[in-house]
Amino acid sequence: MELILLPLLAGFISFFIPKKWSKWSALLFGGLSLALVINHLISFDPKATMELFAPQKVTLGELTLTFKMALDGMGFVMLALSNLVFFLVALGNFNREEGSSPLFNGLMFLMQWGINGLFCSQDAVLFYMFWEFALIPIFLILYWFGAKDNQKNLLKFFVYTLFGSLFMLLSILAWASFSNSLGYDDLATASVPLKYSCWIFSGFLLAFAVKIPLFPFHTWQAPTYSTAPMAGTMLLSAIMLKMALFGMIKWMIPLNYNALETYQLPVIILGLIGILYGAFIAINETNIRKIFAYASLSHLGLIVAGIMLFTEESLKTSVLQMVNHSLIAVGLFLCADFLEKRFKTSDIQAMGGLIKQAPKFGFWFAVMVLVSLSVPLTAGFIGEFFLIKSLFFYDAWIGIAASLTLILGAVYMIRAFQTSAMGPSVLEESTDLTWNEWAVFGIIGVVTLYLGIQPNAVFNLIEPSIQTLLQVEGTTFNFF
Amino acid sequence: MDALLILFIFGLISLFLGIAKKQQLALITNVSGLTLAFLSLAYHGTYESPLKSYENALQFTGQELLLGMLCILFTGFILLFNHSKDVAQDQHYADLSSLKMFSLTGALCLIGFKDFFMFFIGLEILSIPVYVLVGSRKGVLVSAEASLKYFFMGAFSTAILLFGIALVFGATGSFDMETIGSVIQQNAFNGEVLLIPGVLLILASLLFKLGAFPFHFWTADVYQGSSFPVLAYMSTTVKIAAFIAAVKLIGSTFSSLGTAWELSLSIFIAISLFLGYISALRQTSLKRILAFSGISNTGIGLLSVLSGAEFGERNLILFLLSYGASSLILMVILQTTNSEDDEISGLKGLGYKNPLLGVSALVALLSLAGIPPFTGFFGKMLLIQDILLVHPMMAILAILSSAIGAFLYIRLILLLFNQEMDGVKINISPLSTTVLCTSILCLIGGWLILYI
Repeated sequence: MELILLPLLAGFISFFIPKKWSKWSALLFGGLSLALVINHLISFDPKATMELFAPQKVTLGELTLTFKMALDGMGFVMLALSNLVFFLVALGNFNREEGSSPLFNGLMFLMQWGINGLFCSQDAVLFYMFWEFALIPIFLILYWFGAKDNQKNLLKFFVYTLFGSLFMLLSILAWASFSNSLGYDDLATASVPLKYSCWIFSGFLLAFAVKIPLFPFHTWQAPTYSTAPMAGTMLLSAIMLKMALFGMIKWMIPLNYNALETYQLPVIILGLIGILYGAFIAINETNIRKIFAYASLSHLGLIVAGIMLFTEESLKTSVLQMVNHSLIAVGLFLCADFLEKRFKTSDIQAMGGLIKQAPKFGFWFAVMVLVSLSVPLTAGFIGEFFLIKSLFFYDAWIGIAASLTLILGAVYMIRAFQTSAMGPSVLEESTDLTWNEWAVFGIIGVVTLYLGIQPNAVFNLIEPSIQTLLQVEGTTFNFF
Repeated sequence: MDALLILFIFGLISLFLGIAKKQQLALITNVSGLTLAFLSLAYHGTYESPLKSYENALQFTGQELLLGMLCILFTGFILLFNHSKDVAQDQHYADLSSLKMFSLTGALCLIGFKDFFMFFIGLEILSIPVYVLVGSRKGVLVSAEASLKYFFMGAFSTAILLFGIALVFGATGSFDMETIGSVIQQNAFNGEVLLIPGVLLILASLLFKLGAFPFHFWTADVYQGSSFPVLAYMSTTVKIAAFIAAVKLIGSTFSSLGTAWELSLSIFIAISLFLGYISALRQTSLKRILAFSGISNTGIGLLSVLSGAEFGERNLILFLLSYGASSLILMVILQTTNSEDDEISGLKGLGYKNPLLGVSALVALLSLAGIPPFTGFFGKMLLIQDILLVHPMMAILAILSSAIGAFLYIRLILLLFNQEMDGVKINISPLSTTVLCTSILCLIGGWLILYI
């Protein structure tokens, strides 16, 4: 229970902490929730589910709600990831203007509450409520701390995501008429006719496709990322999207398994288009934030394709790749912020040679680029390799097209690194990393390296829960 | 019945206090009257049997008592926040609040009616003081225009209603709701030629009171002409009473005649859902925005009439509670910022001028947009859930219109914390602060009403 309540409490307390102490308290609360989840993780048995909160069933008119919250292995991994990301953001923010704002820290922890709640919820309406709730704090963060002229983008972002989510709500409500209650266990045993489960699936898909974003629904992403405050971009990219991916794995597919066949190929193709489209735009883009935004589109396309395969292997590696992508997103956007602060622009053409003035930064930027390129020994290598392998077994041409991500990724990442950090110096002198940024990069480096060598740390945790997901429909696939 | 008498007597006292120019005393009188009426309804809530009076023409069971209490509560809030402003400038506080008290008795009749006499009397007692209230901004031309417009149109709708009632009486031979209901169910009426036009005429006049398409033309002008407290009164108590009348008449008494009104009502709702929000998009006056978005919200509320679900009325109460509390907050804000030309640019930087106003406006708009965890979300969700089982297409339309509505409300939110502002701090009176805080509580914990 304390896992859920701590961020909520931290959020409300943070609003009232004096400005002077705010950054320390943010660090403290972030660290505390991270320590708490690690403490639970050590003693956690992957086969078990940890119940957090199980009240009486509630009947609202035709709806029966359970409001149950519990964590299985995958939920635990996502919870740990979310707490880690929020800790890293608080740490990275430590010396920044936003970091010492009580308002920012309060909203950040409220958002953490929403996201953590989503990972724990075992009831569809609870899932939806946390899903929408998490949108409010991030909207306010972007609004209050973002660029001055970002109102148009914000409106687009909010209405776009809300529009998708409303159809998810409709799907959830439609579910209610086929099931005893909206609790996860009841939904898993409910039998929905194919026609309806296709419609329900599509409502979820629309919500998730907007949030991830998938190819035709991505237009809010780049403008929002480029006008958001850096911490906001990190939160959006690193953890907000994971809500949607998690929802696909846990809610959308297993509970509407008979509709998967209909949507599998189209969504995989959309993911593929995202991979190639994102990569090609990133190659031609000069705004560093937009490069990373489109890179994210490209990476996520691969993860979505992997999730849609819905085999044990592809799901396991998708989760690993989600962890990896979150960490990379924090690292890369921190680099982008560092560059923007020094050069006072986000155009990489105007940057150059920073590695000479700031060698420590140069080193870590290079590490982040390499991690993002999925070189062996990093978590990305395991993730992308197995995802592409799964796709290749599904269809050889799709596998080949997906594997282009490795080459194209190298092109835009190395180009971004080369233009901004190498070459002739633009600046006379520059400050190097501060201790807190160094610590963020260090943590990301260590974790990705560890997961690259020891991916079983994640795999073992999530294996039982993923097998349960596959068994919801009594089907298991084996590719090994 | 006690509550009606209490409200009437205290309203009368307040009227005389107005003549004696004791505005402060009038506030105390009215609030104590409302408290007594509230308590008397709450006291009856502990009984098992329904509260019957006037030869069973008025019957209050659990939900009706709840609705009555809600109306009293909202009216009390309106009197409270109205007071803080008017006394210094305006010498008519006592008169106007006694009019609201009288109108409230009509609302109670409309909530508990069991036959057409009580229904008609309730509707008239509810409406006539409101015609006067709309015109209460003396010397303001738009106010006079609004009052006249509302009065004429209201008179026509009353005539239409009476005609409808007469036709239904001709067909069924009774004014009593239960008798009419059973006669219709048993097909024992004299000719559809009388009955169906009668039902449609009654529906038309109810739609007029609610301000739904195609009888919505008065809303924008009337809202613009009336003062903020009156507007708040119209979007809380009047809305609640009219909605409940519609649910009881169309949704329950005439429910077995479904084929007669279902199609036309669905079309009206579908158009209302979009017409309101889309017209509101281009408006710059906040009152007009509220008027137009009110049309769409009425459309969502009317879904409960269409679905005729078992718990439809209770879900509707939740929706009306959230809508009323949100409107109340917005009206308090407009009253406090006191911008006569109520342009939306007046909201600019409100959150910096007074954080409480900013936060309450934020909560109100998010609730109107239907974002969890606010009450507006639950209300909308349950209404849509009810309709989804009967008319899936209407549920999809409602969802689409909610998306447009969210666009409208989020645009207003973006103004609230705009940094380009003149930076003058705004102070609010303790009474208005109380109203704001209670309304925020309603918007956060309002779903608890489902457990009463």
